[in-house]
Amino acid sequence: MNEILAAVIGVVVLTICSIVVGLFLAGLDRVVVARMQARVGPRLRQPFIDIAKLFRKENIVPKNAVPILFNLMPVLALAASIAVLLYLPFGSIAPVLGAAGDMILVLYLLIIPSLCLVIGGFASGSPYATVGAQREMVSMIAYELPLAAVVILVAWRLMASGTAEPFSLVTLMDTNIWSVCGPLGIIAAVLLLILFIGIIPGELSKVPFDAPEAETELAGGILAEYSGRNLGMFTLAQAVKSVAIVAFGVAILLPWNLSPVFGLTGAAAIAVDLIFFLVKVSVVMLVSVTLVRTMMARFRITQVVKVYWFILGGIALAALILFAIDAFAAGVI
Amino acid sequence: MIGLLSTGYGFWNPIVWLVVIAAALIVSFIILKAGRKDYSKDTEQVKPYLSGNDEPSASDTHVRGGNLYYGFTRALKGYYDKLIPIHSGILNDYIAWFLIGLVIIFVVVILI
Repeated sequence: MNEILAAVIGVVVLTICSIVVGLFLAGLDRVVVARMQARVGPRLRQPFIDIAKLFRKENIVPKNAVPILFNLMPVLALAASIAVLLYLPFGSIAPVLGAAGDMILVLYLLIIPSLCLVIGGFASGSPYATVGAQREMVSMIAYELPLAAVVILVAWRLMASGTAEPFSLVTLMDTNIWSVCGPLGIIAAVLLLILFIGIIPGELSKVPFDAPEAETELAGGILAEYSGRNLGMFTLAQAVKSVAIVAFGVAILLPWNLSPVFGLTGAAAIAVDLIFFLVKVSVVMLVSVTLVRTMMARFRITQVVKVYWFILGGIALAALILFAIDAFAAGVI
Repeated sequence: MIGLLSTGYGFWNPIVWLVVIAAALIVSFIILKAGRKDYSKDTEQVKPYLSGNDEPSASDTHVRGGNLYYGFTRALKGYYDKLIPIHSGILNDYIAWFLIGLVIIFVVVILI
């Protein structure tokens, strides 16, 4: 009963917080990109204004569309993105439902918003959206391999060091991957961090992994036929998902808090750790999305597969070997 | 906790997950309802956007199962070029491949 009550309250609170943080991050991304390109750029609150405007626009349903799927997918995408947040820790605040789901569940939940985009794209009845949906599906399958590798490798190394429930995000708050590794394990953990930074733009369909949307060749791809409140809902889902995926990465690979350093306890510790968590999320977002999309051009969809499966897959394999040697050297396997 | 499924390594609770998704769907619908619903039906705006070009027939733009994984088949062309000719369509060939695979697995298991 407590879990169900926590779930309902958690959904409401985290929806509001994640939308605000997600749109703030989107604004920060646009401002920094503009500055890096020597432009003035939009205001920090521009994404909030865009959402308000989208919700006042006509909500066009194309004549070729399958209306029920076309209208349902943006809602489901937002709902699934919100659901992920309940299983994630924020600073020293434990996950709302940490005892009801682990990292594997988070991994699966993160797929749902992308699947909604694919189904919504196919349901649009537009050639651009169909090609975009096809690309999104390929892209999704491509980045799942390195993402799963990060989760499984972290859990495996924790398990090898004798940690119980290695897939639990609550466990990761107490025992982080850096504290159980030797020098080689630390190098492997750094490789996993690089891997995660490479996965984030793919998860969020950002340059150079934005082939499914590709404004210049597919006119927005999957989202070409979406407008008004439906497009607004997908934009909100994207904002919430950006918070979720970066928070997931921070929870696994950058789990430190500031409160132990300053000897803080109680509400002060929670507040300081939450602020530090938001700083970490912003920095990871700026490095993995803003910096990368300013420097690079779009990959073709075939290149997306090669990058995720062969380059990032190779890095994951190197991390696996280093973790295995590290654990063997420590005498735990 | 009622409904918790645990393997000893991982765990999740489908009942709590259903409650979470239901609550998130309700909140999402409330947000959706805040937006404008209407649009001008039976006008040009319901045509698919194709940069001003005429809309091709559905059969010309249909993505077939074979096209769906274009990104993979193209990226892994060398692999597929070798794999596709092996698919002869003859049942005896498939059984032979199955037996070869089984033998390899047994050898690996015995060696380990």
